[in-house]
Amino acid sequence: MSSITAFEEMHHLEPHVRSGRAQAGVIMFIISDVLSILALVAAGGYLNALDTLRQFRAGGHPPALLPGLLTAVVLVLSGLAYYGWERGERKNPGAGQRAIFILAVVLMILTLAGQIWVGLTLGYAAPFHAYASLIMLLTWYSAFHLLLAAIIGLLLLGRIIRGRLVEHPYIAQATGYWWYYTVIAGVILWLFATFL
Amino acid sequence: MSETTTTNEAAVIVPRHYTLRQLLFPSVVSGVVLGVVGAVVVYFIVRALQPDNYDAQVVFAYTGWTLFFFAGIGAFNGIWRWGFARHDDTLEEALDLAGKDQGLWRYFRYTTDHKVVGMQYLATVLVLFFVGSMGAFSIRLEQSVPGAIFFTPSTYNTIVGMHGILMIVASIVMVSGPFGNFVLPIMIGARDMAFPRLNALSYWLLFAAIPVFLSTLFLGGFPTGWTGYAPLAVQGLTPGMDAYCFTIILFAISTTVAALNIITTVLVLRTKGMTLARLPIFVWGVMLSVFLGLTAFPSFLISQVMVLTDRVFHTSFFIAANGGSNWLYEHLFWFMGHPEVYVIALPAMAVAAELSAVFSRKTVFGRRMLLGSLITICILSVLVWGHHLYTSGSNTALDAPYMLDTELISIPTGFFFLALVGTLWRGRIWITVPLLFVAGMLVNFVVGGITGIYLADLPTDEILHGGMFVTAHFHFTLVGSMVFGAFAGFYYWFPKMLGRRLNPRLGALHFWLFEIGFLGTFLSLFYAGLQGEPRWSANVSPLYATANLIASLFAILIAVSVFVAVYNVIISLARGEVATADEWGARTLEWTVPTPVPLENFATLPEVKGTAYEYGLSEPVDKGFGLHEPATPDTMDAPSPQAQS
Repeated sequence: MSSITAFEEMHHLEPHVRSGRAQAGVIMFIISDVLSILALVAAGGYLNALDTLRQFRAGGHPPALLPGLLTAVVLVLSGLAYYGWERGERKNPGAGQRAIFILAVVLMILTLAGQIWVGLTLGYAAPFHAYASLIMLLTWYSAFHLLLAAIIGLLLLGRIIRGRLVEHPYIAQATGYWWYYTVIAGVILWLFATFL
Repeated sequence: MSETTTTNEAAVIVPRHYTLRQLLFPSVVSGVVLGVVGAVVVYFIVRALQPDNYDAQVVFAYTGWTLFFFAGIGAFNGIWRWGFARHDDTLEEALDLAGKDQGLWRYFRYTTDHKVVGMQYLATVLVLFFVGSMGAFSIRLEQSVPGAIFFTPSTYNTIVGMHGILMIVASIVMVSGPFGNFVLPIMIGARDMAFPRLNALSYWLLFAAIPVFLSTLFLGGFPTGWTGYAPLAVQGLTPGMDAYCFTIILFAISTTVAALNIITTVLVLRTKGMTLARLPIFVWGVMLSVFLGLTAFPSFLISQVMVLTDRVFHTSFFIAANGGSNWLYEHLFWFMGHPEVYVIALPAMAVAAELSAVFSRKTVFGRRMLLGSLITICILSVLVWGHHLYTSGSNTALDAPYMLDTELISIPTGFFFLALVGTLWRGRIWITVPLLFVAGMLVNFVVGGITGIYLADLPTDEILHGGMFVTAHFHFTLVGSMVFGAFAGFYYWFPKMLGRRLNPRLGALHFWLFEIGFLGTFLSLFYAGLQGEPRWSANVSPLYATANLIASLFAILIAVSVFVAVYNVIISLARGEVATADEWGARTLEWTVPTPVPLENFATLPEVKGTAYEYGLSEPVDKGFGLHEPATPDTMDAPSPQAQS
């Protein structure tokens, strides 16, 4: 048998430590993902510059503007909705309007659906030349981001419904970092793919 | 569920007894079973949809294996509970997850205790080294006589590639995995890592990658060597290449997760008084190493994703006829590949610095210079990858900057070794097995470092590139220096981690056999390289036969040393002397806790009042560690428990 005190302390952390932990973890994850995106974008720029055998764009065409634009707009709206909810949470934990958060999650899921539709309707044929390959990889990488954000949103919604967010107000802020990053990264990748 | 009872004075936790079903589900057993079922089911589904696309069938089977393995081992339970449980984890649930009262079986479950994860990493690294060594001995066997006698050239290529990637993976995690997990949290005065569940995830991702990698043997192997170069990698020769790519993807995710966990732990969970300036050198080394990995591995991950999309979905990132380029792969790969050797080097160098103070009973010479050199190496290493492309035909205007920067790294490295030698100089040296390995590391790195200067210079690299000189150089740096540093840490922390002392005489025998065998093997290969022997050739020309025969004979000594080490570990665990809490009279915090280390690490969290290196001061200073400083022993043996009291 062992004293409970040291065991209790094992996973008990001060609120400021929990907050710092969450923020540091999300920021590290974002740094890693930024570097992945930079690698993708740099690869695209490099292949574009090399234009090996003048085959970089052969058989490829820029993605249609409207579907991507609509998807980007919905994504930005999702980010704004999350910001609106998070502001309310920061002022008074538990007071953020649940409906606004649900709107943010729904918009994120709609963005994901839109991105999948964009990916399926790009209109390229195998074997894909380098430009088409790059657009496809950027499109599905974005979709992966959106999927992660949607899953995180649903999990957070579960906590809100169960009333388990009030004691952990830092979660809204830390999750927000990833949410806003997804929005910014999604818009940047759409701009890159559209204007490459 | 554990029970709590109350007494008049304090609540206590009653030990819990687990049924067999509770232990097996979830565990590695249920994970493997479910993983295999998942892989088979997904394979047949994809085969029905894409009967001619073998790469798609294999890759999706690997994906099924991974997802179902993690479902079976219970990795998703925590995620589900985070979102949808009615309440946060209770103390009892957290202790269950940490492996309390589960005995040895806790090592076969998704256990969050950092000490369990450290032991899991240690066992896995030793197994990977052993298997990789068998590949090495196969290579030396084939190269001992001219002609492709024992293996076909394609089998030889696969053996070389497997040896390379197994050893690279093992050496990346050999210090940060076992000791970064087990020792680091205790060293900074924490009770666990910042993200215990992610800690378990990082290990089990590595575990899940192993069967994926070994499956290449049944799928025709891979022809590219450990670097996986495209466009050879994207040619549909055998599906075995998919195993390599998928392994790297899993490994890259594992190292990313581990990196963010270690960095966050050091930043937010230091005990009171443990400022960044007071952090032990080992912690700095591991933290810088994983930060470098965090920044370098994404490009490796993307390169392997691109290879897989080229193979499975017929994209053309690396196919020149369709606008792709092999140079793209080389840049993406080596942008990771060079920082990677410093990901390997920094923790081992930090271990050597840590041990040099302990076994010379002196404060670290030039501690700030030493830390500054580690940070400078970290920064410069990101800028030198182009020296791997000197002979690739890429833009020559970039060669001079790469050459300059590569040469520049030798300066902070030199400062580091100056600090190491300065620490040992005129110290009260205690010759122990860990210190032997530190000494071997110093000697071997002189050779490895100087030969690196020749390879850093383009005019000499033009001649030496692709030859055995390069092979001997990186073996001297990675094996002769960094693996030796890892073994120093292994012999140093083994008593704390496993509660038994390793036999010092067998340890010394391991060292001398390894060092003599290593020098004989790779100095011979330097000679062969200077004569012009190329790498990756099963058929050794008679011109290089003598040098290769000598190398293979000395490799026998290395093989014997491996078995000596294995024997030492087995008999020590079976009937070795029980270790004390403070084997070496060291001053870092892990030596202030009992052996075996309790689940909560510290009964009460310590308060730190100074650095851990104030050995040999003229006036004793109470730094809050509560340690005495024993006299330097005359033998390699640690003092007996009676002498320490």
